[in-house]
Amino acid sequence: MFIQTEKLTHIYMPGTPFAAEALNDINFTLAKGQVVLLIGPSGSGKSTLVQHLNGLLKPTSGRVYFDGRPVGGSKVELLKLRRRIGLVFQMPEEQFFSETVYDEIAFAPRNLGLADRELDLRVDKALARVGLEPDRFRHRHPFHLSSGQKRLIALAAVLSLEPEVLILDEPTAGLDPVGRRRLYALLADLNKKEKITLLIATHHYDEAAALADQVLVLYHGKMVMDGTRSKIFSNREALEKLGLALPPVTEIMHDLADSGLPLNKDIYNFEEARTEINKLKGSGTNES
Amino acid sequence: MVMGKPSEILIKARDLNYHYTGDGENIFPALKGINLDVHQGEYLAIIGSNGSGKTTLLKLFNALLDPSEGEVLVEGISTVDHDKIPMIRQICGMIFQNPDNQLVATTVEEDIAFGLENLTIPSAEMRQRVVEVASRLGLEQLLLHPPHLLSGGEKQRVAIAGILAMHPRCILMDEPTAMLDPAGRKEVLQTVSDLNKNEGIAIVHITHFPEEAAMADRVVVINDGCLVKDGPPELILTDLKLLHGLGLVGTPAVELADLLRTDGFKIPPGTLYNRELVKSLCSFRPKN
Repeated sequence: MFIQTEKLTHIYMPGTPFAAEALNDINFTLAKGQVVLLIGPSGSGKSTLVQHLNGLLKPTSGRVYFDGRPVGGSKVELLKLRRRIGLVFQMPEEQFFSETVYDEIAFAPRNLGLADRELDLRVDKALARVGLEPDRFRHRHPFHLSSGQKRLIALAAVLSLEPEVLILDEPTAGLDPVGRRRLYALLADLNKKEKITLLIATHHYDEAAALADQVLVLYHGKMVMDGTRSKIFSNREALEKLGLALPPVTEIMHDLADSGLPLNKDIYNFEEARTEINKLKGSGTNES
Repeated sequence: MVMGKPSEILIKARDLNYHYTGDGENIFPALKGINLDVHQGEYLAIIGSNGSGKTTLLKLFNALLDPSEGEVLVEGISTVDHDKIPMIRQICGMIFQNPDNQLVATTVEEDIAFGLENLTIPSAEMRQRVVEVASRLGLEQLLLHPPHLLSGGEKQRVAIAGILAMHPRCILMDEPTAMLDPAGRKEVLQTVSDLNKNEGIAIVHITHFPEEAAMADRVVVINDGCLVKDGPPELILTDLKLLHGLGLVGTPAVELADLLRTDGFKIPPGTLYNRELVKSLCSFRPKN
């Protein structure tokens, strides 16, 4: 397995009166090249979990494995790991600190000790990968870009390390529909064309659900559901009990099926929904 | 709009222009010639893509920015009258996207009282107002809790409580649910809708979610700094030609209904919600 956790438990401030258990006995596996959607109410442990996967947090007990080796060890080991597993935080542009887009993106690869020429190539490649023309953006001030562009720069900064896994925590918060669509089209490409494994933690899973192979559900620090997208989103009641909702298109299909229409509910985008609903026509309807 | 007097103008924007000064000598026009009245007790949604000027408009309403040209009057007070800024902000409180950026105190009750302290309200009355708003918003049990340990929905309700304690006429909200889970979103939207319906507090709500804009009495569309459309949600939010042209989307039901209409399904115009779509499609039930 590419990524695996084994009895992963994390307690914040253990041994103090403020001790708070954030993760309890988490076991899951993730195969290379997959798209995994991680959902759960606020405070369920999603951010804590993702920070274990690239060694930002250490388990209180249990283990995390990446590509057959336990996560952790020396500083050098961790740096190697973080090159392979990129983490895009919530609202990453709030952490921008450079005067130019170039410096913002070059920051991490520069710390790898790359030569200037190699650095230039990395920055240009990362910009191109997020669909921003290097010549137009390299010298811009990151604070003067639109929210959508800032988010793409933040993603480029992580891609400049050429990771094999991308972990994204609420990647589209605050983006408009076009920005959201653009970001997800990009993520879909990174997964399909470059085989980058994706783990996406989000509350707004309209687009993420359309990409996902597997869905993990956290609740109060426990992994309460883990399975294929079809399996998890077939159980609306269980999700609603946890304060979670179906993806919007899937919700419409459930609403229709629940009112007696003979329709497949396992659907995640408008075009599939349209095709499915059009099947009603062939079944002896009273349409005009 | 039950208790407010809908005809009375609460906020008036007249020939409003605002430009940011960007790189060097560049001037970036963010708002161009906006004329808009917000009425007492009204629920107004503002939609538009990232960078269209929505947030700038809200900041001008709250005297966080001074107009470059034109003016904003809040209950007749010009926002450039800087001596009156505390009064303007008491009339119109503002809620931001990320609750963590607006909670300042170490306990919920101190946080709710923060605005009152700045208004130099006597401590006995302060106490009374804090307890009163906490009970209105169901936060009584949380008064002594540290705000950073609350859920996202609770944090936004604490922020709303802090504004309510100042006895406002209006709450300005900039994407208040962007960081929240589905349950937190519901919780905040319900609270806001109750305050509007039961107490006649006007709401100005910026959102990227069409289903949130659908809660409003009126929807205003901003694009590239200009007000391009103003009307009831059932007209604006079903006008996909308009929305798509500006990089926006309709509710999932609107989007799917549009596709199905071109396939010959009869779905009435103005269909905004799943339940309406389901009703239309159920007439396609196969005959027995």
